[in-house]
Amino acid sequence: MTPFSGNGYKKYSINEDTWAMMDIAHREGIETVWDRLAKQEPQCGYCQLGTSCRICTMGPCRVDPFGDGPQKGVCGADADIIVARNLARMVAAGASAHSDHGRDILETLHLVGEGKTDVYKISDSAKLRRLAAEYGIVTEGKNDQEVAHALAWQMMEDFGMRHDGLVLAKRAPQARQDLWRKTATYPRGIDRENVEMLHRTNMGVDNDWVNILLQAVRTALSDGWGGSMLATELSDVLFGVPTPKMSQMNLGVIKADQVNIILHGHNPMLSEVIVAASQDPELLELAKSKGAQGINLAGLCCTGNEVLMRKGIPMAGNHLMQELCIITGAVEMMVVDYQCIMPAVAETAKCFHTKVISTFDKAKFPGVEHISFDAQHGLAIGKQIVRMAVENFSNRIPSRVRIPVSSVPVMTGFSIEAILSALGGTPKPLIDAIVAGSIRGAVGVVGCNNPKIRQDLGHTELTKRLIENDILVLVTGCATVGR
Amino acid sequence: MKTVFVHPERCIGCKQCEVACAVAHSQTKNLFLAVFESPTPKPRIHAEPGMVLNSAFPNKCRHCNPAPCQMACPTAAISRPADHPEIVYLSPQKCIACGMCAIVCPFDVITYYASGSAQGRPAVATKCDHCIERQRLGATPACVEACKVGALEWGEINEMVKTARTRYSEVVSVAVGQISGEMVHIPANVEAWHAYGAEISHLNASGEKGA
Repeated sequence: MTPFSGNGYKKYSINEDTWAMMDIAHREGIETVWDRLAKQEPQCGYCQLGTSCRICTMGPCRVDPFGDGPQKGVCGADADIIVARNLARMVAAGASAHSDHGRDILETLHLVGEGKTDVYKISDSAKLRRLAAEYGIVTEGKNDQEVAHALAWQMMEDFGMRHDGLVLAKRAPQARQDLWRKTATYPRGIDRENVEMLHRTNMGVDNDWVNILLQAVRTALSDGWGGSMLATELSDVLFGVPTPKMSQMNLGVIKADQVNIILHGHNPMLSEVIVAASQDPELLELAKSKGAQGINLAGLCCTGNEVLMRKGIPMAGNHLMQELCIITGAVEMMVVDYQCIMPAVAETAKCFHTKVISTFDKAKFPGVEHISFDAQHGLAIGKQIVRMAVENFSNRIPSRVRIPVSSVPVMTGFSIEAILSALGGTPKPLIDAIVAGSIRGAVGVVGCNNPKIRQDLGHTELTKRLIENDILVLVTGCATVGR
Repeated sequence: MKTVFVHPERCIGCKQCEVACAVAHSQTKNLFLAVFESPTPKPRIHAEPGMVLNSAFPNKCRHCNPAPCQMACPTAAISRPADHPEIVYLSPQKCIACGMCAIVCPFDVITYYASGSAQGRPAVATKCDHCIERQRLGATPACVEACKVGALEWGEINEMVKTARTRYSEVVSVAVGQISGEMVHIPANVEAWHAYGAEISHLNASGEKGA
């Protein structure tokens, strides 16, 4: 471990491991996200302000923010309409990503219900039954598989148009639900809101920017109280409710003497299976025969979070670390599912022995080997992937292995169930503290990183200030790995 | 002499030069704050469309010398700064908005807007200053920095002209190659010499080595 001063790289990140790896990347001519941002600058002013529109082929159109040039697109849309349409479509894209992830988890529950999978099972029967009750399913006298089948069927309706409103949205306080009804923002169906958002922002449909933004709110709520809530709840049912535990984080979790597999993306389906496969005695024996001390898993981004909070798998870093992980030279394999995976990792991996494997048919990468993941035969595929990683260990160049820091401890796993249990089974102590004024509120920091802002600075500073002001903070996403 | 050389054939009409110019001449120098400034900062370069679809020419002050605008200005608002004599510089405070500079400008690149440097005046002449403030800090003009397609180039004019001239003669040589002896009188030996030149130019067209 060479202490690295970070000279010249401190403005990009608050983390020592990032400084050290940026320095190596610079010396070896390996391009990183920061280099590509510098080449893009100055970025397009119209696009940054949202006053450019590419929705129809009468355009592309721009509204001149300095008032000299055109103030309306070809269709007559002014800056307000164009900005609202652009924002609304970004909301729809983000909500679709979360919710389509939820759909994959739901399909897995359905497979369990049909008994058609070799690996997935109900890990938390009590939570399954609590959810089923919310959906009005009679659970008495039914086994878990039957309940799972009935629940999956009902939840699929949340994606469609038969439910009057999302079932889980009823969890919101009544006053909030009334407000949604009053403003036409009560989420109805998950796919419905997203499709309607695309419809309404198409050329010549909804041109009242207030109305557009209200539908953007409804689309976002269809994710928050629908797609992503389903994903969270069902992941708990299938893989277990997270419990508080200690683990390690930063690039120091990559082990020089072990086969290192990085789990990157957002979906826990595959990574859970890799965790199981990495404990397979036969594969561990194979690793030993190749000269490795074991098989080490490390997470990146939200896939990392999923296995961190449930299995205590250490985290190598967040979004901006994905290329830097590979530059340690000690990564045999990066297994990716979907979301936040930069196509750049394929190029970075070419500079090393690292294999990148894509696994979901909806997310393929040029220059990356694809192993189609299939929830029915999950474990077999998981073992195949881990075997490839182990076999790649002999291609590692030991002189290029540089792990810049030692890992630091992190505490994780604060599910709602864990928090309630810590409070004695009821939120009352917390509510009392809020009423008394000793806790002034609660904030969720669901932070992502962006190379435009010093890595991890934004959400760590925000979190510090919130805590200083007696506000309870729950973090997820990239913010989990901010130190 | 340093200048902004324009390659109109490379311009894609994205107008990023206009945005960058307005921001560089704003009070805050920040895009998101500049749009809310009063008076609103204005661009001094304009990518105007050409005669056919998908063509444009980023038009700006050419900093003539002698400059017609400078000669026509009755209040000596237009001058040449001592540290940058190649720049035709307009002092907004001295401008009386008479319009004479705009009338005599050969390129029609002087416009009239309210200026942060001449508070309280409804409009003063506004033109390119070759980003003199940025140059004094060692930076290139903002329009050149913003141009992603190489339509705006900053450098010594003779070097840039030489590059452009070479490129142009290459284009002409292709066109001349289409003219045959039947169309115009070319002596047989000159025609053979052209044919010989064309032949050996293509010898290694495949890029392969050998023979």
